[in-house]
Amino acid sequence: MADLLTPEQMRTLAQQETLEGFVEQLAGTSYGRISTETDGDVSLALEKVFYQKFIERMMGIVDLAPTNIGDFLQSYYYLRFEAINLKRIIRGKYSGLPTSQIIESLIPITPYRVESYEEIVGAETFQDAVRRLEGTQYEPLVSSLELSEKYDALWPVEIALNYLSARVVFKSLERLPQSDRGLVRRIVQAEADVENFLVAAKQRSAREKAHSPEEMFPTTYGISLDMLREAIEADDLTAVIQGLNPPYNEILTPLYEGDVALIRSRLRQHVYDIARRGRAANDFGFNVIMAYLVFSEIEKDDLVGIAWGKTQGIAAEDILKYLAIPN
Amino acid sequence: MEMKRRIGFIERGTEFLKLKRDHLAKELTTSIDILKGRRGRLLEELRVAYRAVTAAYISLGPTEVQSQAKSIKSRLELEVLPRSVMGVRYPYIKVEKQPKITGELDITLSEAAEKVLSVLDDILQLAEYESRAERIADELGKTNRKVNALENTIIPSYRGIIKFIEDKLDEESLEELVRMKLIGGALARRRE
Repeated sequence: MADLLTPEQMRTLAQQETLEGFVEQLAGTSYGRISTETDGDVSLALEKVFYQKFIERMMGIVDLAPTNIGDFLQSYYYLRFEAINLKRIIRGKYSGLPTSQIIESLIPITPYRVESYEEIVGAETFQDAVRRLEGTQYEPLVSSLELSEKYDALWPVEIALNYLSARVVFKSLERLPQSDRGLVRRIVQAEADVENFLVAAKQRSAREKAHSPEEMFPTTYGISLDMLREAIEADDLTAVIQGLNPPYNEILTPLYEGDVALIRSRLRQHVYDIARRGRAANDFGFNVIMAYLVFSEIEKDDLVGIAWGKTQGIAAEDILKYLAIPN
Repeated sequence: MEMKRRIGFIERGTEFLKLKRDHLAKELTTSIDILKGRRGRLLEELRVAYRAVTAAYISLGPTEVQSQAKSIKSRLELEVLPRSVMGVRYPYIKVEKQPKITGELDITLSEAAEKVLSVLDDILQLAEYESRAERIADELGKTNRKVNALENTIIPSYRGIIKFIEDKLDEESLEELVRMKLIGGALARRRE
């Protein structure tokens, strides 16, 4: 835990006037001096650096942890990152981006449940890219193509990928002792619930062509399908959000003012709290490891946000508002 | 006579130019009034849209934002056509196709994109009005200079020339009259 940044350090980083100041301040932390020299976009290069740092930390833990915990953590994080990479590949193919640009956008991990990302990127069309997942753990995505073609949209594939990842994570939880599963389950469920609600809220603006809630939300947890349906059909979301149980009614409050990004920030804070409470309840074993990685991932997300803000010259208060750790 | 015909033509032209000048001034005043109101409103809307885009970038990270944004197939398509007011040509922007923000975007980005899209029409209209006002002001300046030159230099100089010719002709006809009188007087004395 000692190499993680404290809320004060994160605040100081966000308050730096320039990118150079941010890099200078970061040099005094466990990140050391990082280079901002690149031919392309500095914020994208820095994002890669922060991802690499997080992956290094995660792999360090995987190597040291007992086999069952190591296997679970590798599966949990690699699956999530691989899901992001697959989405970026599918989106890239859908919009006809050049192969080099798609590969450039990928999170720097070695392929986990697929042979090679280059092979999928080499597909002619996005449908072809999805079909190349046949024979892998992602095979169920191929059946989502039918819905994708029906609506001429990518969301059915993306939603199928989200639920597939969540299912695999829950399945891999079985490798952990019963007592260690609660923390991960709470985190995954909270994230899925909030994401489901945000998708439902987004559907409201396109209600005339709203898709079936059953198709869109094949799995629900703390926010039921009925509540999601209510959110899609409601004229005013205020009453629907107030009717949700804590912490969702608090996390989703910024929807009243249309500040959706703040919801993500509150969700990260909530996940941070879940990990902190989990660690407080059991300061040994899995919970400590998981809390360290949760804190580390949130730190990575906050640093990516600060780095982008600094490259764009965004005021510190506008950046701080959306960070999880200093708040 | 030729000079008189020409100055008549110049004076009529000057009147037309004055009419054009007045019409352009009226158009310019209207355009400036519209621009004043719209620019302030647009700046505020842009601030809101920029805040939403900033929030999306900080929340999702630049790579994810760019990956999602590039998945939008339907792009903005414009055509710039010429329009004219009192012979002054200015560009008119015709939106051929509005980008459609479909279900591909994350809600954070989708909200930001909608805010940017709602400002886009105003930006295009403002650009059109600014260009129109700029060109009208330019033409107004030119027309004003032409009217001033005609009223203060060319017409007076033509009038001066005409007056000189008229004076000269009057003088010559007076001389002719005097000469005729003298000749008439001399002939009368010889007959006596």
